[in-house]
Amino acid sequence: MKYVIIGASAAGISCAKTLRENGKDSSIDVFTDEAYMPYSRPIISYYLKSYVEKDNIYLNSPDFYKENKINIHTQCPVTAINAEKKTVTTAQGEFSYDKLLIATGSKPFVPPVENSENAVNVFTFLDMAMSEKIKSYAGADTDAVVIGAGLIGLKAAEGLRKICKSVTVVELADKVLPSILDDKGALMVKETLNKNGICVRLGDTVARCNREGNKVTSVTLKSGEEIPCSLLVIAVGVRPQTALAEEAGIKVNRGICVDKDTMETSLKDIFAAGDCVNSTDILDSCEKIIALWPNAVREGKTAALYMSGHGEKDSGSFAVNAIDFFGQQICTCGLIKAESAQELVSLKNGYKRLLVRDGRLIGFVLIDDAERAGMYTYLIKTKTPLDTLTGDLLDTPSFMMFSKEVRTERLTGGVKV
Amino acid sequence: MNYIVPEFEIERNPNKCISCGACVRQCSYEVHYFDDDGKTVLADDSKCVACHRCAAVCPTRAIKIKKYDMAYKEHFNWTPTTQKEINLQAATGGVLLSGMSNNKPYPIYWDKILLNASQVTNPSIDPLREPMEIRTFLGKKPEKLEFDEDGGLKTKIPPQIQLETPIMFSAMSFGSISFNAQKSLAMAAKELGTLFNTGEGGLHPKLEEFKDNAVVQVASGRFGVHKQYLESGRFIEIKIGQGAKPGIGGHLPGEKVTVEVSNARMIPVGSDAISPAPHHDIYSIEDLRQLIWSLKEATCYKKPVAVKIAAVHNCSAIVSGVARAGADIIVMDGFRGGTGAAPTRIRDNVGIPIELALAAVDQRLRDESIRSCVSLVAAGSFRNSADIVKAIALGADAVYVASAPLIAMGCHMCQQCHSGKCNWGIATQRPDLVKRLNPEIMYKRVVNLINAWNHEIKEMLGGMGLNSIDSLRGNRLMLRGIGLSEKELEILGISHAGE
Amino acid sequence: MKKVIAREEHCLNCKLCEVYCRTAHSQSKDVIKAHLRENPVPVSRITVQGDNMLSVAVNCRHCDKPACVEACITGAMQKDPETGVVTCDESRCIGCMTCMTVCGFGVIKSGKFAVKCDLCQGEDMPACVKNCPNNALVYVEVGGAE
Repeated sequence: MKYVIIGASAAGISCAKTLRENGKDSSIDVFTDEAYMPYSRPIISYYLKSYVEKDNIYLNSPDFYKENKINIHTQCPVTAINAEKKTVTTAQGEFSYDKLLIATGSKPFVPPVENSENAVNVFTFLDMAMSEKIKSYAGADTDAVVIGAGLIGLKAAEGLRKICKSVTVVELADKVLPSILDDKGALMVKETLNKNGICVRLGDTVARCNREGNKVTSVTLKSGEEIPCSLLVIAVGVRPQTALAEEAGIKVNRGICVDKDTMETSLKDIFAAGDCVNSTDILDSCEKIIALWPNAVREGKTAALYMSGHGEKDSGSFAVNAIDFFGQQICTCGLIKAESAQELVSLKNGYKRLLVRDGRLIGFVLIDDAERAGMYTYLIKTKTPLDTLTGDLLDTPSFMMFSKEVRTERLTGGVKV
Repeated sequence: MNYIVPEFEIERNPNKCISCGACVRQCSYEVHYFDDDGKTVLADDSKCVACHRCAAVCPTRAIKIKKYDMAYKEHFNWTPTTQKEINLQAATGGVLLSGMSNNKPYPIYWDKILLNASQVTNPSIDPLREPMEIRTFLGKKPEKLEFDEDGGLKTKIPPQIQLETPIMFSAMSFGSISFNAQKSLAMAAKELGTLFNTGEGGLHPKLEEFKDNAVVQVASGRFGVHKQYLESGRFIEIKIGQGAKPGIGGHLPGEKVTVEVSNARMIPVGSDAISPAPHHDIYSIEDLRQLIWSLKEATCYKKPVAVKIAAVHNCSAIVSGVARAGADIIVMDGFRGGTGAAPTRIRDNVGIPIELALAAVDQRLRDESIRSCVSLVAAGSFRNSADIVKAIALGADAVYVASAPLIAMGCHMCQQCHSGKCNWGIATQRPDLVKRLNPEIMYKRVVNLINAWNHEIKEMLGGMGLNSIDSLRGNRLMLRGIGLSEKELEILGISHAGE
Repeated sequence: MKKVIAREEHCLNCKLCEVYCRTAHSQSKDVIKAHLRENPVPVSRITVQGDNMLSVAVNCRHCDKPACVEACITGAMQKDPETGVVTCDESRCIGCMTCMTVCGFGVIKSGKFAVKCDLCQGEDMPACVKNCPNNALVYVEVGGAE
């Protein structure tokens, strides 16, 4: 069996690993346009703030790929898929496949910002190459401006704060992390950012860049304010990389359309996983792009199991985030807003906000109060009826909230001792 | 103002205490508690009963329990304990209660009796090399054996109980002790080939599997007695009296009558279980005879019936009567026998030592030529295997032990059984305390203890040149007294050392 | 593989498992030094939940399909294919706590690194099991290294 995987991040590598675990003799070829061996994409902000060394960004040791006969083709973009001939065209020539996985992930969305074109100090922040570029460009006298207060933008800002003279984040929405936090949570995070020297401008955006030659020197906000800027990071969002799939005739609707159980695309023997596909959120049954690491890993695994004939239905997607800014721990999961949902809030330790609908937990925001957060995630994932639990849901979750039968079954896995 | 000086003091070594709080969570008397900082552990000395649970559970051995070092003006007669008891009664107006057994310094005759050993003329026996029999049979023995022409046995042998050791576990009811404690004893009895005794608490359905190792008791409250219960025991024991509190009944407070206890005893949950002082249908040997034979009738004459009495002044005459009333086994409980709760004055002042009672009774039955009509079981504090060997030489067929296995299960003799707060999970019905006693662990410790004693008994027998415990039974020539008066020697029926 | 199984009917809420877990994962391996002298005090990988009436010790279940491994963004969290033990490589962990957020058993603790049970690798028996005074924790073969 010949497997070809396009993309060497979460979905691609988890697919390759799973394929190898389920068959020793197949050939596995992974193509990436990047120059690096497979590395952890979220780690680039930790690299930026010098929390990890460059040697520590890799997902596996080089020996791992050798031992498992997984061929990683770096700097080798795939330019075309021929579904009829079952081949892919790459910089290194044509490769044929029996089963193909598209795990091309996403690319930064760069909105037109007046006067920013071709400036040497305007960056995006999505891959290691960019992180290295920013790190080498930024210095102690740099005034950094980040457009976008999403996960990527704020992580970039946190990293830059360690290096630069000033960091300003500009966000069009009226709160930071608008896609994962509620108003109160967002306010707490904003306060932390402010406390740590990051200026946050909400409800505003960069209207245009002012430059000297090929360098941006300041930005003018829509509100009229002018902020000095010697380094601009644009992090307003990402878009799935679907061009390759679309050209090959695969059905795309924002993301690549896949069977939610098997990850197979509209073309036979071609699968897709990760940030480039439309996932179905088990909580609201909506198709959406859930561009998160654990989701991509799981989808890559599911795809691999079907590609190698060991099919096992995908357990379903939902959003889970864990992130920290300056030591403030933020964990979120599921939905942050839903119609006719009830909110439970506790400020006992930090901030805990649980979202309940139809007697089931459908989402949470935990800030500095994340002890045993995964137990809430479990309740969301399994859609456990809350009336089967005892105790206050807002207390630190514990196994005492389950009935004896459930507790014993979960803890012993049915082992009788 | 509190007139009562604490008995004990907690000494906590700050260089060792890691503030893990195990002592705080493990003390049912709530002696230990955290200070507001959540780190410093403090203690209320006045609540401490010196049960040592905290010290045992402390992972760093940071806790030492010391005698409270309060000086009293010396007075031989008015000791601190006496004063404390007066103050307790002055405060409450109540009867003093105690658990476990007589703790006054009366003579312990076991320690004044010495065993013999063979030298030259009658060689001693090494039990590791040669067979050594400690198997014991309880029950009425026939006067003589008759055989038919073919050599077959004609005599009908009354029902016998076969024990693999002369050591049985005394009556402790489910109620006075926890289910886990009773289960541990039941498991140990099964493994050892001996018997445990349900006491007057009925047999818990979960212990049905141990019925071949159970003695079922019928006492004055008649709790839990029904046909199936009677049939489930190896023998039936009518309890007339108890060594720790002769002449006194029992009282299991309602708070200990949990659902489980109530089921086993067949009484309502939460109701006090009162065992009257006498059996209200027994006012004479003849009445007792009726009960003995009723129980035999009820169990188709398949079960031996035992009668247990406390060792009191005229016990020889009573035992003679009981033997004639048809009992197969007579149990005598000395004044050092244990209890879950007894009035302190009774516990410490009523009854006589088992050593003297046993010797007197065995002699009386021999004199009346009815010794073989009954088996004698001695009870009332056997602390080690030597005590048991001496008891058998004084005439006991077997012994009952209880305090020793309880100590093996964690008892530290704090004597607070009556409080129901036993930190070791023995004398309590509180589920959080009961679970501290894991039968899997504790039955093994009890088995180890009795196996060790069995081994020592065999060694002592071998030393005396005997290869069977039967050869020791009533063999008072193997005993010598030391430091005893003529009268004591006479009652014990033994010579003085050197004689 | 062998796993630690907790029997709640025997759990005393004494939390000695936590004490000995901290000790086993300390520098000094000495109960007193680990708790009084080491800074930071080691974190226990096992937690007793509940109260004196009803309690149970909970630690990593070393799942067949560990959500923590799936979610780990650096590859620090791994399940050993041979022993089945799930461990966190502290040299690669960045403390993002995604694992803590996805672990349905709530057994990963946060800190500079993700802290979790490693079944006391290299020892015959995990310290918690070895030191449980009431045999509430047992270390038993549950089948399947996976």
